[in-house]
Order: sequence, then C-alpha cells, then structure tokens
Amino acid sequence: MSEALLRVEGLKKHFPVRSGVFSRISGYVQAVDGIDFSIARGDTYGLVGESGCGKSTAGYTITRLLSPTEGAVYYQGKNLFDLNAAGIRQARRNIQIVFQDPYSALNPRKSIGDAMKELLAVHGMGRGAEAKEKVREVLQTCGLAPYHYGRYPHEFSGGQRQRIVIARALILNPQFIVADEPISALDVSIQSQIINLLERLQDEFHLTYLFISHDLGVVKHISDTVGVMYLGRLVEEAPKQEFFARPLHPYSKALISAIPVMDPRRKIDRIILSGDVPSPANPPAGCRFHTRCPEAVQRCSIEEPALRCIAADHRVSCHLVEG
Amino acid sequence: MEQLSEASLQQGIKQREKGESEYRLVWKHLSRNRTAVLGMIVIASFILLAVFAPLLATHDPISTDLGNALQGPSSDHYFGTDELGRDLFSRMLFGARISLNIGLISVGIGLLFGIPLGALSGYYAGKLDLVIQRIIDIMIAFPGILLAIVVVTVLGVGVQNVMIATGIASIPIYARLVRGSVLSVKKQGYITAAKAGGMRDSRIVFFHILPNCIGPIIVQSTFQVATAILWAAGLGFLGLGAQPPTPEWGAILSRGRGYMRVAAYLTTIPGVAIFLMVLGFNLVGDGLRDALDPRSRNY
Repeated sequence: MSEALLRVEGLKKHFPVRSGVFSRISGYVQAVDGIDFSIARGDTYGLVGESGCGKSTAGYTITRLLSPTEGAVYYQGKNLFDLNAAGIRQARRNIQIVFQDPYSALNPRKSIGDAMKELLAVHGMGRGAEAKEKVREVLQTCGLAPYHYGRYPHEFSGGQRQRIVIARALILNPQFIVADEPISALDVSIQSQIINLLERLQDEFHLTYLFISHDLGVVKHISDTVGVMYLGRLVEEAPKQEFFARPLHPYSKALISAIPVMDPRRKIDRIILSGDVPSPANPPAGCRFHTRCPEAVQRCSIEEPALRCIAADHRVSCHLVEG
Repeated sequence: MEQLSEASLQQGIKQREKGESEYRLVWKHLSRNRTAVLGMIVIASFILLAVFAPLLATHDPISTDLGNALQGPSSDHYFGTDELGRDLFSRMLFGARISLNIGLISVGIGLLFGIPLGALSGYYAGKLDLVIQRIIDIMIAFPGILLAIVVVTVLGVGVQNVMIATGIASIPIYARLVRGSVLSVKKQGYITAAKAGGMRDSRIVFFHILPNCIGPIIVQSTFQVATAILWAAGLGFLGLGAQPPTPEWGAILSRGRGYMRVAAYLTTIPGVAIFLMVLGFNLVGDGLRDALDPRSRNY
C-alpha cells in the first residue's frame, strides 16, 4: 500500500432539526457520525451502504460542499477543514466531484464547452483559443466529439450527460475525484460504459477515486478497498478480495448475499434483513445495527462496538467477531 | 444505443460545430419569432414618434385655444382637441416621450435594486434574508401607489421624482420575485457543481443563478412598464406627478375622464396608446424569454 492521499478522521456531519414557531433546534440528524478511513494514491475506495446511511453526505462533506460538524480530512497532509474560503476554492482544483444526477448537474443555459472553459478561466488555467482546445481534448478523452463543444445539455442523452459531468470534473486536472453514485441515475445499458470510462481515466491520469455506490456488484468491479456504512458509521472495511471472500460484519454478509447471481440454478442463501433503517435523528443505543441484526445478542443493545482491526487492513465493528 | 446515435451524428447530419455567439443566437431566434417582431415594431414606432415629436406635431402641445375646445377629430386636429382646445395629437406625441421614460426608468430602478436585494436574500438566506424580507414586507404592506406618494412627498413634485418614486415602489415586487426564483434555482445540481468547481459566490449568483431566473423577471418587467405609467397618471391626477400643462399619457387619460360622454376620444386615444405600448413590451418580453432559453431555441 502506497502513501495515503486522503485521510478522513472522525468525520461528523449533523444536520439540525428545527421545529416550532421560533425554529428552535430540537435535535440533530446524525447523517455521518464519526468515520475514519484513508485512501491510497491511485486507489479506488468503494463506499457502500443503503439509502440514507450517510455515504453521499460523507462525500459532500469531504469535498467541503457541506460544512463539517467535526473531524478532519487530510489531503496530502493538509487539513481541508482548516482552509478559508479562498483556500477551498484553490483546493477544488485537485478535488473534484462527479454527481449522481447528470440531468440536474449541468446548467441548461450554458453550452457544455463554455461551462468547462469557464472553469479553466476561474482557475487561471487558460483562456481563449488555448482553453477551447483543451476543452475539446477532454471531451474527446471522455468519449464525446470535439464538435459537441457548442451544444447545450438538453441536446444530450443521459449517458452522454454523465460523460460531460465527468469531463467537467476532469478539465482541471484533479488528482482526487469523489464519484457520488455516478451510475445510479443511468440506464443499465449505459452503466458499464461509464464504469469503463472511469477506469480508463484512472489509468490514464493516475486518479484516486472515492466511489460512492449502493451497488455492490459495481463496487466489487471497480474498488480496491471497500468500506460499508450503516447509519452514519463505518461498520466494516477491507481490501476488496478479502471483503468479498470473508465478510465479517452481519450487515456486510447480508449485503453480499443480496447480490444477484448470474446463474438461475444456483441456490444462494439470502440473508433477509427485517424492518427499516432506524432514523438517524434518533439512532439506537449500543450497536446501531442491533435492531435488524440476525445474530444480535444482549450485549449488542448496550455496548457500542468499536471499529477494530481484525487482520491486516481489515476492520470491523462487531462484538461477535473474534479478533 | 449511444454508439448508434454517436455514429449517426458522425455521418454528417449535424457535424458542424455551433460556434455562433450567444447574442447572435438570441437575435436569430428573436427575429424569427413573428409576435416578437410585431412587438419590436410597435415599440420602435413609439420611440420614433417620441424622438421626432417636434417635427411631427401639428400644433403646440401646451397652447390653449378655448374657442376650439372639445372638437372631435378632424383634418386640422387629427385626434381632436381637449377641454382647453389643445391639440390631442401633438400632446400625445410629446406625451410619448414622458410616458416612455417613466415606464423604462422606473422599471430600470426597480430592477437595479430589486434584483440584487432578492438575489442576496435568496442566496445567503439566514439572518440577512430575514432582515431584507421584513423590510420588504413593510414596503409591500402599502399599496404601490401609496408608497409612490410617500416618496414623491419626500422628494418633491415633478416628473423625474415620479419616475424615481414608481421605481422605488416596484423594488419589493422584484425583490420577492427574484428571491423566489433564486431559492428554487440554487438547489439545482449545477449550482453545487459550480461551487465544486471553485467559483466565487458572486460569479455563481450572477452567471449561474440569475440567468436561470430571467423568465419571470422579464415577464414582470414588461407588465411593470404599464403599471408605472398608470401609477404616474395616478400621481399626476393627485397633483403630485406631471403638472399641467405637461402632456403625459396618464394625465391626459385622467383629465379626459370628465368628458367621457361628450368626447370619448379624450380617454380612448391615450388608453389605446398605453395598451399598445404595454402589448409591445409584452410581446418582446415573451419572445426574449424564449430566445434566451437554449431549450426552446431550435436550430
């Protein structure tokens, strides 16, 4: 494992819940409640979990699109949360994000070329014909044609739009890209194209990805390391091979058992979780997963398990795992 | 699917790059829109009439001729004469100068202050929003005309002050309108994307949010031209606006009201003129709104 490009420490993001006439703060939604992980340069870290577990919030907070409640994010050794507004703007050159919904992520009133050229101008990375040339180049790299420069977003299909979103993220030559469910809004037939594009770009430009997804199949394909989130906490983290071969946390096991298998004759033992995810505004005491855990014992509802290292690079937070 | 469409594109259907500038595209679309062209012709005619009023006028717009009062339209007095025997045609021509100015300048003032106020309020939300909105609540609590009266009282009577007053009175309308649009646009993904691109707030507001709010602003502005002219007329009627004998459309209209039975043309003609001017601005505004939206432009 090479050096860590990005290290997240004790990241918390709580959203205040306001109620009543005077909008007093009556509680907090603990969307992300203390997560730590690090991503090595050139790696892809797959962050998975079901809807509402805080994975996207984590991505947005790491990129400072949301202001953090607590914690630190070290990017190349510098804490991003210590930067002032100008510092953040500068850091954005290296840290980009690919959005989930390519339909809303593009300004309908700007031609895609002009939108990308504007980014270059804002960061002092070129103007005029030179910038235009660079935009065309990046468009081509992302599987679009240079003559698409003057077109508007509504003239493109969903898959093409996501290519544009990726091209826009790439135009500033970033090193780190947060991909926030980049394929979940796309047609299945297009998804693999976008995944392949992301992989090709990673090789070509030595990018580091934080890949946020709820699709374990895709994460299995693209990630080097997998982190599983549940209700704002990281419950298990392991290198990909290890994770899929030997999942330890009951939640991970349940998730993996739910991946569809290509062979209809093969029987798999699905672990069906009962109930819904508890509200992050009022998470259960003890282990956050104990309300739905098929293996829960009494201790789980009282004592909160810590994220422990079980084997090399394999961390899990469960009382039942021997380590 | 995608490969297919890509391939068909490459076969040369639309291979040319669209390199035309935004202004030219807007103009191209606008000039192909028949109703917008009609509107532009109407406005251009009014402007020409106003500019060349001294050349076109047949009589002195303010000299009275009591022996000739309330004469219907004739070859000498195209639009007839008013209760003091002044030539209505000439008065309408010179009145066009004042009324056009009132309409445009008051809308200009409203936009100049209303847009930034609304944008600040909507974009930054929080306490600033609260303060601005309460001030606007207070302004909106008075009917526009009453607010204009207050401003004129403070500034003093006169046509210029009427323009300022009607402008100020329309600020809260724009501020509310813009705030609402900004609130909805700033939640869009592309605004987050602009932020993620490292852009300053000012750039995001002026180059990303406001262009996406332009539709309602344009529509409101075109209506506001008419409202301003009517407010100015009301102020004139109360003796706070254009003072007699200044020819101003609203003033002509309201003075003619007393003679509706004997000389209907005294109200009909300025009424139709105001209507046509508002219609012109409306048609152009509508066309402009469509032309500025890439989604409704087809090539």
